[in-house]
Amino acid sequence: MKKGTLFTTLLLALVISLALSACDGGATAPATEKPATEEPATEEPATEEPATEEPVATIRIWADDTRTPILLELADEFQAEYNVVLEVEDLGVVQDIRSQVIIANPAGEGPDIFVGVHDWLGGLVESGLVAPIDLGDKQGEFVESNLEAFTYTDGVLYGLPYASENLGFFYNTELVPEPPTTWDEVLEIGRTLQAEGSVEYAIAVSTGPGYNALPIQTAFGGYVFGVDDSGAWNPDDVGIDSPGMIEAVTWMTNAVDEGLMPDTFDYETAHSLFETGQIPFLMAGPWALDRIRASEVPYAVAPFFPDDGVPFLGVQGFMINAFSENTLLAQAFLTEFVATEDTMQQFYETGNRPSSLKSVLENTDDPDLKAMGEAGANAMPMPNIPEMGSVWSAWDNGITLAVTGEQSPEEAMSDAAQQVRDLIRGALAGMVNLPGDYQALVGCGADWDPACEATAMEEGEDGLFRLTIEVPAGEYEFKVALDGDWTVNYGSDGEQDGPNYPLSLDSDSTVTFIYDPETHLVEITIE
Amino acid sequence: MASIASQDERDVKVSDSRSPLPRIVRLVLLIAGDAAVVWFLMRLFSLGYFPLAAAIIIIMLGVNIIFLRQEAYPIRWMVVGLVLMALFTIYPIFFTVWVSFTNYGEGHLITKEQAVDQIERRTYLPETGKAYSWTAYRSPEGDYALWLQDAEGKGYLATPGEPLAQPQSGELGVGELDDQGVPQSIEGYQRLNAIVAATDSNLENIRFGEEGNTIQIRSPSEAAELVPLYAYDPDQDAMTNQETGATYSNIRGTFSAPDGSVIRPGFIETIQFSNFKEFFVSPALRGPLVRIIAWNFGFAFFSLLLNFGLGLLIAVMFNDPRFPFKRLIRTLLIIPYTVPALLTILIWRGMLNPELGVIDRALEGLIGWAPPWFTDPGWAKIAILLINLWLSYPYFMLICSGALQSVPEDLYSAAQVDGANGWQQFWKITMPLLLVAVGPLLVASFVFNFNNFNLIYIFNAGNPPMAGTPTPAGHTDILISYVYNLAFTASRGVDYGFAAAITLIIFLIVGAITLIQFRYTRMWEEVSENV
Repeated sequence: MKKGTLFTTLLLALVISLALSACDGGATAPATEKPATEEPATEEPATEEPATEEPVATIRIWADDTRTPILLELADEFQAEYNVVLEVEDLGVVQDIRSQVIIANPAGEGPDIFVGVHDWLGGLVESGLVAPIDLGDKQGEFVESNLEAFTYTDGVLYGLPYASENLGFFYNTELVPEPPTTWDEVLEIGRTLQAEGSVEYAIAVSTGPGYNALPIQTAFGGYVFGVDDSGAWNPDDVGIDSPGMIEAVTWMTNAVDEGLMPDTFDYETAHSLFETGQIPFLMAGPWALDRIRASEVPYAVAPFFPDDGVPFLGVQGFMINAFSENTLLAQAFLTEFVATEDTMQQFYETGNRPSSLKSVLENTDDPDLKAMGEAGANAMPMPNIPEMGSVWSAWDNGITLAVTGEQSPEEAMSDAAQQVRDLIRGALAGMVNLPGDYQALVGCGADWDPACEATAMEEGEDGLFRLTIEVPAGEYEFKVALDGDWTVNYGSDGEQDGPNYPLSLDSDSTVTFIYDPETHLVEITIE
Repeated sequence: MASIASQDERDVKVSDSRSPLPRIVRLVLLIAGDAAVVWFLMRLFSLGYFPLAAAIIIIMLGVNIIFLRQEAYPIRWMVVGLVLMALFTIYPIFFTVWVSFTNYGEGHLITKEQAVDQIERRTYLPETGKAYSWTAYRSPEGDYALWLQDAEGKGYLATPGEPLAQPQSGELGVGELDDQGVPQSIEGYQRLNAIVAATDSNLENIRFGEEGNTIQIRSPSEAAELVPLYAYDPDQDAMTNQETGATYSNIRGTFSAPDGSVIRPGFIETIQFSNFKEFFVSPALRGPLVRIIAWNFGFAFFSLLLNFGLGLLIAVMFNDPRFPFKRLIRTLLIIPYTVPALLTILIWRGMLNPELGVIDRALEGLIGWAPPWFTDPGWAKIAILLINLWLSYPYFMLICSGALQSVPEDLYSAAQVDGANGWQQFWKITMPLLLVAVGPLLVASFVFNFNNFNLIYIFNAGNPPMAGTPTPAGHTDILISYVYNLAFTASRGVDYGFAAAITLIIFLIVGAITLIQFRYTRMWEEVSENV
């Protein structure tokens, strides 16, 4: 046997597998025209129409456990009316859907529609995993801030929002009859109650002081990212060390020093303290309503935050997989079946969140959600740019370091802001480069690459940056770019976004560039 | 595949009887198995999973050789194990190595083909182009016609390949208009509503109207004279924007223009050693690495010392036949080992809570002070070591108890005759012989604790934070939790490439430690040989 057998085996294997794949091809080829041939019709107990017709299409939806049953109710109607199968898969909590989508969508295994939160957009859009949505005439029926949240920096809408959530200001009605209107008043009330011995602290903050104490920070004028002229988030304007932010953190540090706020930021601690009446004030979101109600603590939600601070707005919605073969159908389904008052009303009733549809929102009957909605009327949509990922840890750490006294608020917040800026600039922070149309000739993969290693300058002991390379004869242009990025770049006038430097070489030469970081000018020596 | 291989194994026994039948059966099964694999490979290729496909080809060739070559006969018995190991251990390692040289991560999650395809499908509406709302009509043959309405409400009839017509009701088979200005019917076609029309996934790709001025459906409410926005030039590996003429060349997996603007999405591209360099060269990421590595070694070492020390102490005490209630106490002591570690850590987290925790409440009641377990770096480290002690001492108690049984009694008798006291007996007899048995387990425990992500992350997520570091880091962060933060939470989304590179670095560190320690434990084996 030996070699001959091995060969025959492989040959036979090939023949058989071809035969197999031919059968398979026969099975899938019509499936591309009618993608639902394999769908078992068992799900649909053929209500009105005699089930002679094959379903014409299938829409797969990944949803969370609250939304799934409501969507499933639509399935029967949808199939009866349009002969389209609606498959809804329950993936647990909303937050778990993202990691699945990231893997499944590129592999072609993703759903047509999935439930998500607006701040995933940065990652999903930049990775090409979501398709735009056109709501058409329905656009006007949605709350503007919710649509805004699902609009990416390119001005395109990528989701159909169904609910929003933001922190509310809870107060213990037995201890405090009227909600305070300033943060100093919050401490003042706490101070009095503490002196009486009826409370431990004035207020406690949940895990993640950045998010959970944002209404304090914004009240003092702090912000996270600025916006550019078109209203899009500007990742170059980091507000973690803005004067307002430092003032707010100083206020928090003083509160901790005075014993009016615990120096640990912990969800369990903060909520338990409030539920047992040991703090009169708490900032909590709609997700905590059930447990606070169950604790039977007498409470109310103020329709505003002290000093008009604003919380982050998180918006949940439906997004469409960019790899879906049914993007048009998915959009049509969302606008015709999901963006209706009936469905949205059900989402509101079971989801415990203010609705994104104006008509449902107006009829919000839950007083707590209503108050939270009012307090969040000007809420800041959580930035949906990917740079936000670089903010959280640094921001939370900065506040923690300040309130525990490790660092002064100024130091802590400016360190935190520096961390954020460095993380945004990435590993190339500090790089000085000379991108131009000569780069492809000197070992870069492409021209005009601000991060090409081959044209990165080296810092000398005199503080000047140098680069010496061999350049073939020709006419070239180049510029100075810092941090491996175009964000900070200098032209031949030493100004940001200035004109290109010309470089004219009669013959192949060794060129030395010297960059002065003081003047932002480059000196060229040709040998 | 595994099941087929095992069937083959059964046949091997029979094949010894020299009858041709078993051999044929074996061959048929092998061919069937190969056929199934080849079919699977084709699916993999069509989906673009090339590394996995390559690995499976190698495995399949290996299996064929093993079953067909007489010399490889003994390995046939291990083939299932070998295949599984290749698939689930060796392949993931190679895959990790490959990923570590790419930019795979958020922003670069799809392949270049997918990205180019997606970008090329993008369209724009030229300034002179018109947009309409649409209603679709379908003929029984499956041909489509569109009724278009522009912003002023004027209606047009569009069919593929024909110029736009502007018929009145009654012309060209157009029926009566409804109150929206849309014909109720068009002769030869059936009017569809938006959803029914959308069930044909090909509708978006149909071009209506005459050549050069075609209209495409863009959304359920809009159709427009769209033109492709980008054209890809494979020679230059660049995209050209048809509207502005700007050229975007492929720079490390993103089409970028000279002015710094980019086309989303990016795609997976190899980026040589950048991920490794990022970790070692960039001051921003290297940051507090030295302190983190120092604590990482300290944590693993002290954990081992404390856990082994306490376990051994209890085991030695139980080894004394005079010890009362041995069984009961031993059972109680093993309890921490039987509760899932995750729960134990959470319970300890609760007990040490400064406001609500039992321990802190009790301490404050007794001495008026409780350690700041979560906010002070020193106490946080002590808390972690204590929890780890609670979690792991029963394990060492168990293995030491077992190992102590194997120390021959006559050695102690001989030592007593020589006049050795209890202390000397312990250090000269018990310890060396014990270490022979548990030495490898100590190495394993060290390595486990070196990467004990669960404990660190669940207890305090690496907090309290370090002040003044270039990147966010905590005092109790170990390498793996610090890197997890960098690669998955503190950056722009997930960064699999960077994470894979760091994983390899940690793998090398742990591998080196293991190697050194096994050298060291071999020393003890020599001791035991000399006894």
